[in-house]
Amino acid sequence: MAVPAGSRRLDLWTVLTLAALAVLGIFVLWPLANVFTASFYGEFSGSLGLENYATFFGSGYFRRALWHSLFTSAMGTLLALALGLPLAVIAARYDFRGKAALRVLVLLSLISPPFIGAYAWIMLLGRQGLVTQALAGIGIGLPTIYGAPGIILVTALNLYPLVFLLVHGALLRIDRSLEEASLGLGRTRFQTFRSITLPLTLPAMATGALLVFLGVLSDFGTPALLGENYPVLATLAFTLFLSEIGGNPAMASTTSVVLVSVALVLILLQRWVASRRNYASDAINRPEILRMTGWQRLVFPAFAWGLMAIANLPLLIIVYTSFLETSGPVFLQSFSLDSYRQVFHLVRGAIVNSFAFSGMALALIVVTGSVVGYIISRRDTMLTRVLDTALMIPYVIPGTVLGIGFITAFNQPPIWITGTMAIIVAAYFIRRLPYMVRACASYVYQIDRSVEEASINLGAPPAKTFMKIMLPLMAPGILAGAVLAWVEVINELSATVVLYTGATSTMPIATYSQVLAGSYGPAAAVASLLILATTLSLVLFTVIGGSDRELTV
Amino acid sequence: MAAIGIAGLVKRFGAVTVIEALDLEVGAGEFFTLLGPSGCGKTTLLRIIAGFERQNAGDLQVNGRLANDIPAHRRDMGMVFQNYAIFPHMSVFDNVAYGLKQRKFSHREIEAKVSRALELVRLEGYERRFPDQLSGGQKQRVVLARALVIEPQVLLMDEPLSALDAKVRVGLRRDIRLVQQQLGITTLYVTHDQEEALVVSDRIMVMEAGEIRQLGSPREVYEDPANLFVATFIGTSNLLDGRVDRSGGVSGVQVAGARLDLPDLPAADGTELHLALRPEHLTILDDGPVAEGVVALEGVVELVSYLGSQSRIAVRVPGVAEVVEVEAPSAAPASASPPGRAVRLGFRPESAFLFAAASGERVR
Repeated sequence: MAVPAGSRRLDLWTVLTLAALAVLGIFVLWPLANVFTASFYGEFSGSLGLENYATFFGSGYFRRALWHSLFTSAMGTLLALALGLPLAVIAARYDFRGKAALRVLVLLSLISPPFIGAYAWIMLLGRQGLVTQALAGIGIGLPTIYGAPGIILVTALNLYPLVFLLVHGALLRIDRSLEEASLGLGRTRFQTFRSITLPLTLPAMATGALLVFLGVLSDFGTPALLGENYPVLATLAFTLFLSEIGGNPAMASTTSVVLVSVALVLILLQRWVASRRNYASDAINRPEILRMTGWQRLVFPAFAWGLMAIANLPLLIIVYTSFLETSGPVFLQSFSLDSYRQVFHLVRGAIVNSFAFSGMALALIVVTGSVVGYIISRRDTMLTRVLDTALMIPYVIPGTVLGIGFITAFNQPPIWITGTMAIIVAAYFIRRLPYMVRACASYVYQIDRSVEEASINLGAPPAKTFMKIMLPLMAPGILAGAVLAWVEVINELSATVVLYTGATSTMPIATYSQVLAGSYGPAAAVASLLILATTLSLVLFTVIGGSDRELTV
Repeated sequence: MAAIGIAGLVKRFGAVTVIEALDLEVGAGEFFTLLGPSGCGKTTLLRIIAGFERQNAGDLQVNGRLANDIPAHRRDMGMVFQNYAIFPHMSVFDNVAYGLKQRKFSHREIEAKVSRALELVRLEGYERRFPDQLSGGQKQRVVLARALVIEPQVLLMDEPLSALDAKVRVGLRRDIRLVQQQLGITTLYVTHDQEEALVVSDRIMVMEAGEIRQLGSPREVYEDPANLFVATFIGTSNLLDGRVDRSGGVSGVQVAGARLDLPDLPAADGTELHLALRPEHLTILDDGPVAEGVVALEGVVELVSYLGSQSRIAVRVPGVAEVVEVEAPSAAPASASPPGRAVRLGFRPESAFLFAAASGERVR
């Protein structure tokens, strides 16, 4: 019996790949296609064409928002580089007291959502801010934190860890023999650093910078709280969408498409940089740990701990103020649990929702992510490659845009879930699925293929082999991915803010609206609960030995 | 009835044909080795038999039953992998019991079978250990026990020794052969190590570029290579270029300035040949007259390699591209030759394998 050439049976993995593609098609491509299409139907005329884009680029208001986005992203990136690079060098090359705690503190500032930072900085440097008031008392006026300066400061303090983690990792992967060769050839340490070390970390630096840029660009919470009269694309799309609801979301869609286009250019740039200049080498000899001399002994630890203090100050401030008695935006000097009492009374639903939605999304993420992570790292077919690429899209899409896409796509049959919790869970699921997929895939790559084949050979069918052999071996990756996904979904603001209704509010929404309403006490209490959930997750992540690779993807 | 029958098997990866119309029969209880350089298709063939790859054409029969459409997990074959493929999260006991649990044996049967299998591979008492507490050789013994305990129709081994140290390798290959003979299990063994193949096999299939170059017992492939590839891949062969010379009555070969009388050569005058000479068929002659029927070549010693009881003497012979390797007992005076000494090499023409230069096929 001759076997027809190229015959393919529809096996389990093909079916699952098709299912995953269908899910991405429905929850990513379709919403995006809706946004994309809407942007080509004229705001006023309703006819097909470039009318909206003409409006966008013809109006100073829209152009300014685009410029604001680009400007804050670029400046935020520069500041993040200025903070992250020296810290990476100091941590990778010098030994000082308490270095082990540094990584945890860096991670803490990364995984705390930026809107919490924004809110804390308002409490410190805002109009009613503690520092502002104190300095005003002695006649010193501070420059405003609202608008560009605040956005840049807050996002950079939130995202500099991306630069740190990538560059720190790259520095540790430079084999010491390279630097020793340069020293042996007569270069000084500084010259060696400039001509050998720095160029070797350039790809990591570029990747970190682009990730920061993308992060600032997509962020909604910070400009929403600090922006005031300084619109950026993410907040503008949201405001436009709210005002356009019911009708044709033409300008919100157009703004979204512009935002996605900028993000897309960046991600392509990042891929290009990564593919072009990759000096990957697994250091056999880790770099030498240098002794600090003279001024370094003072300056290096001071810089590191100073940065840690400033970057994590918001968390302390929020937790501290959550225990203060308040009167509107004014904190009084006595301690009380009033804020918590109010919170449990007013926004109990939001707390329950946050845990419920995040829990459900996490369950979906874990199940789907581990299977998809396995598939894309093990089955190399046309379909799995498409799936792998399609999974990049949720990374690039800012939450606000995804939210707008969801509402336009899912407010009519066949999928009519607008206003329900299903739409929020679906948004969480699709946004953070790639985290899980990446975390799992990186573990599967390390598991020898023949381990799996041995199980099949001994009689266990593919699905059983996956359950009994692959899942236990992937467990650390699944756990690490789950912790990160959990932190991200429970702190999710930018998509939720578009999707929620009164009944489906969450903790980040509650924080955001309490801040906007000037109820700083309850806001601090909800934010403290979020910080607690986040910190506990980080402790878990550190205990189970999650690596930086999962954080920076 | 053959345990494994393969007919007209073709395997392509994209546009590359890895196995070209292969026919093969392996007898029940036979230790059959697939030997060849990397990329010759031997592992692919084994994986097709195991069901991990599917052939593009041709049939596979196992114990008389067509196996083409049987999925890998129902083929009932035990496999031992190059890099152990031990389940790292399971104890030795659970590793060995894995296939038995799948086959729904009772607890008592599983325990009995596992301890018998561990005994067979000399790992009694290791049941509770975990893989990270085992040496490479011990891991591979566990994997062997795991494959044997299910009493498979066929045992498949994909370079099972290549990840191990030389000493462990030699011990384990002996054990593999002993266990195989004890159980009488049909075994397909893949290796690129010709010495290993010679030691363990009943029959060896030498493969190159997806085709069978020779199929025979270890003795046959070493002592009677079918072509130049087999002669050079298995054991050491010194290659000398020659030309058929039919001038003057008896046929012969001109090589490195000497003429070898080889009556009844089935080749035309002037045909280009390669002569292959095993090092053990060459000697360093002493200064006396050359014995009847021995051909002598002049050369200069380049290097002497001491190998224990034997030594290899590399001799540069004018007109021969590569140095000629000669084997001699280390006790012999020739093994003490300093580099640069002029020597005469001797061999009997009938000990040389002759291959047509154009095709590489054996002429004589």
